[in-house]
Amino acid sequence: MNRYLLTVALAVGALASVPAAEWAQFKGPNATGVSTDKDLPLEWGKEKGLKWKAELPARGVSSPVVFGDKLYITCSSGNRDDRLHTLCFDANTGKKLWHRQLQATGSTAAHPKSCMAASTPVADETGVYALFNTGDLAAYDTDGTLRWYRSLVGDYPTITNQVGMAASPILVKDKLIVPMDNAGESFLAAVDVKYGKNVWKVERPRDINWVTPLTRTVGNVTEIIFDAPSGLAGYDSSTGEKRWASKLTRGSIPTATIDGNTLYAPVGGVSAIKLGDKGPEGEPTMKAKDVQPGMPSPLLYMGKLYAVNGQGVVSCADAKTGKTLYKERLKGAFSASPVAGDGKVYFLNETGSCSVLDATADTFEVLATNDLGGETLGTPAIAGGKLYIRSDKALYAIGK
Amino acid sequence: MTRWTRAALVAGALALVPLVPARGDEDVTRALATLKGVKKQGQGNEDAGPAWKALVSKGGAALMPTLEAFDEANPTANNWLRSAVDAIVQKEADAGRKPAADKLEAFVRDTKFAPSARFAAFELLLTQDATAKDRLLPGFLNDKSADLRRAAIARELDVIEKLARPTVRADLEKLFGFARDKDQVDLLAKKVTDNGGKVSVSEHFGFVTHAMLVGPFDSTGGKGFAVAYPPESAKEPTGAFKGKNDAEVKWIAASTSDKYAQFDLNKLLGKHKDAAAYALAVIVADKETPVEVRVTSITAVRIVLNGKELYAREEYHHGSPFDASVGKGTLKKGENVLVLKVCQNNQQEAWAQNWFFQMRVCDDTGGPLPLKQKTADGKLVPLGFIANPTEPKEEKK
Repeated sequence: MNRYLLTVALAVGALASVPAAEWAQFKGPNATGVSTDKDLPLEWGKEKGLKWKAELPARGVSSPVVFGDKLYITCSSGNRDDRLHTLCFDANTGKKLWHRQLQATGSTAAHPKSCMAASTPVADETGVYALFNTGDLAAYDTDGTLRWYRSLVGDYPTITNQVGMAASPILVKDKLIVPMDNAGESFLAAVDVKYGKNVWKVERPRDINWVTPLTRTVGNVTEIIFDAPSGLAGYDSSTGEKRWASKLTRGSIPTATIDGNTLYAPVGGVSAIKLGDKGPEGEPTMKAKDVQPGMPSPLLYMGKLYAVNGQGVVSCADAKTGKTLYKERLKGAFSASPVAGDGKVYFLNETGSCSVLDATADTFEVLATNDLGGETLGTPAIAGGKLYIRSDKALYAIGK
Repeated sequence: MTRWTRAALVAGALALVPLVPARGDEDVTRALATLKGVKKQGQGNEDAGPAWKALVSKGGAALMPTLEAFDEANPTANNWLRSAVDAIVQKEADAGRKPAADKLEAFVRDTKFAPSARFAAFELLLTQDATAKDRLLPGFLNDKSADLRRAAIARELDVIEKLARPTVRADLEKLFGFARDKDQVDLLAKKVTDNGGKVSVSEHFGFVTHAMLVGPFDSTGGKGFAVAYPPESAKEPTGAFKGKNDAEVKWIAASTSDKYAQFDLNKLLGKHKDAAAYALAVIVADKETPVEVRVTSITAVRIVLNGKELYAREEYHHGSPFDASVGKGTLKKGENVLVLKVCQNNQQEAWAQNWFFQMRVCDDTGGPLPLKQKTADGKLVPLGFIANPTEPKEEKK
């Protein structure tokens, strides 16, 4: 082998060993909460196991997102919680690359536990799209250039939700899907990623709703699946056409998870709903009644369903049968959704304590409990072999 | 081209320099005009993106013009500018340069500029001159910028308490007059009281404490919110009306002794569901006065001043943040009829049974105005006036 071929082979080998660094939206790929990364961290603390730590300018309950070597995160601050921050860090080193601010143009009312940085941004190779609870929506390039900005409350002045919004936008090809269920003018919209203009906008029931849309492919259509207090609906992502609607679910806070054409929805515990081309087919095929999500969303991982409620009761069931495997209590209150990878399930409580459960076991096996302290309400991210946790004051990259 | 010709052209070009604006200035002006031209629903974004880049590329030279371009009447454009300020400052920092502190200070002091821009400049100034805080904040106690005012009040309170002068009570009372944020108002009211003084929180906020009420009207399925029942356009609180379930309803006089002037409609009109009610207050102004009508309510509200709708929000039982509903209007000289519509829905949960309102009339900083309200017996009393301030409810708050 000559030197050139050796170099190429080594480079390819090195690339192959680097996990894909992509956790681009709320709960990662299609909001599953599952990473395919290996060698994920097991034990860490304030002084150990950290790749890096970075200070944050303010609080936020949104999740960090990662695309390539960029990590993006949002915060909000000010006496009126009206300063809206978007930051970009080098995901490998923690170096702050840029920080941009907006002034809230909509109401800053919210439950005291939440804040204006509750929706998780979504990223792609070109940058990040940040939606704040105030209806302020911005697209930044990877270098912090403001590509476009919209004041959705300026555009649709009756938007209102005094509990605070939290549904997160998602990307479908060249469209940013913006969920805006609220007590005023409610809509689901597709916005073009280049200029931020509406491609389509469909009217929605006036409900407050924190659910993030999911997607699936049906034939040549990418379908947006959106759960809400008014029921479940499927939309054509290209046109906004409502393809079907169902009253089988009535989501409002946790987001369902989808596996192929099976939707695991937080209804009656967690129920498996078979989706045909025209929506749900018949009654749920499985009900895991003991898997009771609270605010955190349920997780499907390695054939098991997991949930944690606000009081820290973790439940786990067989995803095929719904049979309860265990129901145990972890310490503290929980807002963050569980995430998983590398045979581990991460349950992060509200005070920085993260319990790592063995996903290969059918029993409650806590592999480690790791404490960072601080207020931790946002769901962690997994990318590049690292676990990213945000607190009210800092951002932690955990792992090698 | 000969060397001589080139030299002549260069000399000619240089001679023209004083006669035309510098190219950099032109670019900045053009970029700012483009950013300020953005409209709703993303109109103008195609041009705004390149303009933002062009503006930021000018670095420090673009900072002050960008801050000067802020206009609170165009919040969409302001956010293009706000993010540009961050990018310009970062670009300068990367090049090892800092914004000129003297220019920032002059800008912060100049109240003709937008409050949000002045506060951004103040924060930039503090990053390189921490002493600016003590130098500038004393002048911002009555500032249009809510953030500068808040910072100034916090600093002044600290000074008053540290110095503990014999005039502490008067100093605190004066500071109370400048406060706008509810937490600072409450804190200062308590400190004034603790020092033997007395201030009226309700008068400071300019609450309506005397009103005429009528209801319930039908709002089954929330439809009553859009129905303009006769009291919505009332010029005076007289007459009887067909209310919910065809029952006759008449105006009743109501007043509140609550420090925050809450009118509890469950107590005053009854525990109705799917209902609408009206409150009418007569506000008297010595002269034409621009005002904000600020309402706190846990249910849907519509604000009407002299027959003109100022504001509407249709939301039920999602919390009741202070001042969440704000209508802007102008009082005419003399009597003005201020009507508030409050709707209740049909939610059955125990936490969804309240309906109430607080309403105040204030300036655009949330501060008091020299306005009067008319009581049921025709007397004129200041806004916020509470006849019997010793009622226990005031203390409970």
